[in-house]
Amino acid sequence: MMEEKNVNSANNENDLFGFAAFDKYESEHIAAPQYSYWKSVWRTFIKNKFTVCVAIVMLILVGFSLIQPSISGYDPLIAPNVTDESMRFQQPSREHIFGTDNVGNEVFDVVWAGARNSIIISFVCTFINMVIGITVGAVWGFSKKMDKWMIEVYNVVSNVPFLLLAMILSYVMGAGMGTLIFVMCVTDWIFVAFFIRTQTMIIRDREYNLASKCLGTSTWTMIKNNILPYLISVIMTYIARMIPSLISYEVFLSYMGLGLGVTKASLGRMISIYTSYMNGYPHLFWIPVTVLAMLSISLYIVGQRLADAADPRTHM
Amino acid sequence: MSNENREVILSIKHVDITFEVGHKKKLVAVKDANFDIYKGETFALVGESGSGKTTLGRAIMRINPCSAGEIEFEGKRISGKISKEEDRNVVRNIQMIFQDPAASLNERATIDYCVSEGLYNFHLYKDEAERVAKVDKALEDVGLLPEHKSRYPHEFSGGQRQRVGIARAMIMEPKFIVADEPISALDVSIRAQVLNLMNKLKVERNLTYLFIAHDLSVVRFIADRIAVIHHGEIVEIAESETLFEYPIHPYTIALLSTVPMPDPLVEKNRKHIVYDPSQLDQSGEAREMRELRPGHFVYCTSKEFADYEEKITKMEQERNEKAL
Repeated sequence: MMEEKNVNSANNENDLFGFAAFDKYESEHIAAPQYSYWKSVWRTFIKNKFTVCVAIVMLILVGFSLIQPSISGYDPLIAPNVTDESMRFQQPSREHIFGTDNVGNEVFDVVWAGARNSIIISFVCTFINMVIGITVGAVWGFSKKMDKWMIEVYNVVSNVPFLLLAMILSYVMGAGMGTLIFVMCVTDWIFVAFFIRTQTMIIRDREYNLASKCLGTSTWTMIKNNILPYLISVIMTYIARMIPSLISYEVFLSYMGLGLGVTKASLGRMISIYTSYMNGYPHLFWIPVTVLAMLSISLYIVGQRLADAADPRTHM
Repeated sequence: MSNENREVILSIKHVDITFEVGHKKKLVAVKDANFDIYKGETFALVGESGSGKTTLGRAIMRINPCSAGEIEFEGKRISGKISKEEDRNVVRNIQMIFQDPAASLNERATIDYCVSEGLYNFHLYKDEAERVAKVDKALEDVGLLPEHKSRYPHEFSGGQRQRVGIARAMIMEPKFIVADEPISALDVSIRAQVLNLMNKLKVERNLTYLFIAHDLSVVRFIADRIAVIHHGEIVEIAESETLFEYPIHPYTIALLSTVPMPDPLVEKNRKHIVYDPSQLDQSGEAREMRELRPGHFVYCTSKEFADYEEKITKMEQERNEKAL
């Protein structure tokens, strides 16, 4: 009896149950879509409408500054309308969009030519400062031996008064674009280097760096692959602060008479000249200042938003 | 025993490791460590937190310098300054598996890069196709899929990440592996998986492991020989089963008494013995490693040695009587 029953139930079970196909790699699959760092950065960046608007404004301003001067052919040494009294101090109108100034030049041309030089100088200086600063800073953060003497160099260089240095250098080397770029790079890189050094020290001793060391990875490869990718967002933040601050600095130095010479268009020098006509013709002062402010602010906001988007913690 | 005929792969000779704490103050992390590891075995280093086991493992990886003594790999000194060529040779042949798989992988690099890092450093491939083939093979060996290459470490589970860590070490085709608590950061359910994988690879590739752990039940499962370390001193070295059968140093006895038993009746009667250093010989005689039985070493003075000798003879007699 019992045996029969067992056979029966076994038969039934055979009918009802069978072995399912089993794939031991099935559990290893990752269902989430592929993650790409830069794509995620871009998606996070364009998610915010305000950011996109500011980015468009920034692109227009920067693009216009770079292109317009070569169309207008403005040259600060030539004032074609200087003999024509009627062309001076025109209010903004359809013919003269931003009006005309004390020597009969179109303010519209003057402003964009000045903005172009400011942008070029600040971009070039930021680039130089960043390249030198990041390279030196990363090695500085890694090497304990270098840290000992570099910190002394930093103490000395960072305490040199900037304005004094700018004055001396511009007297010695003569005013001009090259001098201005040199002045703004000669000590500034060390602040970038110090910042990167501190950041590098924070992540230098993490375990994955030990693992790389055990695999025989050289210091340079480690800086490139283990350290800098982690610093993208802080570096972006730094750049976002540096570009507008250098634009302001260029204007400031030119305003003080330490910047670009009379042969180059300069927002700073223009503002300093136009300030004296502020009572009668306030637009002469306000237009260049507004353009400067919009340029700095839009660059700053876009940079900040890009830095935020570069932080993977915002990608979720 | 047979130990004398076996080939020594790594030899640690009277190694001290000290750290400077502030001015002039020194912290001795490892004191007079002295043992050999034979080719093809799994040598376990067990001890409580802060006993210096990881420090010793890292000294072998040359992350921590030795302040005294020497470490030899295949008869050549690897501690202190060595030539560039030897350095490359050592890096290729000694690899490490890290404790925390989350911290030991570069979060901003793909698995492809993580696994091929060693290949890039030593240019161990003829062309791109060979590198890809090697990486695929290494991932397959640890039970991962080639499609994982484009993924980032944070997308993986703890066990998968640890297997990536193993693949990264194995792709170098090392002879010796320092496994620094490779499963203590893992979920209990996947510990066995990783241990079995390590054992499988060991047999396939004739590897030698230095297995650093604090979990004695795991050590019993995986190790051939065990060294017990306490406060930077190695107190007892013996074959795995001998150590569990005849623990002789008071610290080893105390350590073994902490292992939880799965049998509730045994567990109920388990007595937790507290280690008391004052029961050791206080005469001030310098301790050294003495061989009590073949392959069974204890760190002791001559007086202690006599006591241990008496004790172990008694234990052996008891066992024999029971067996009869």
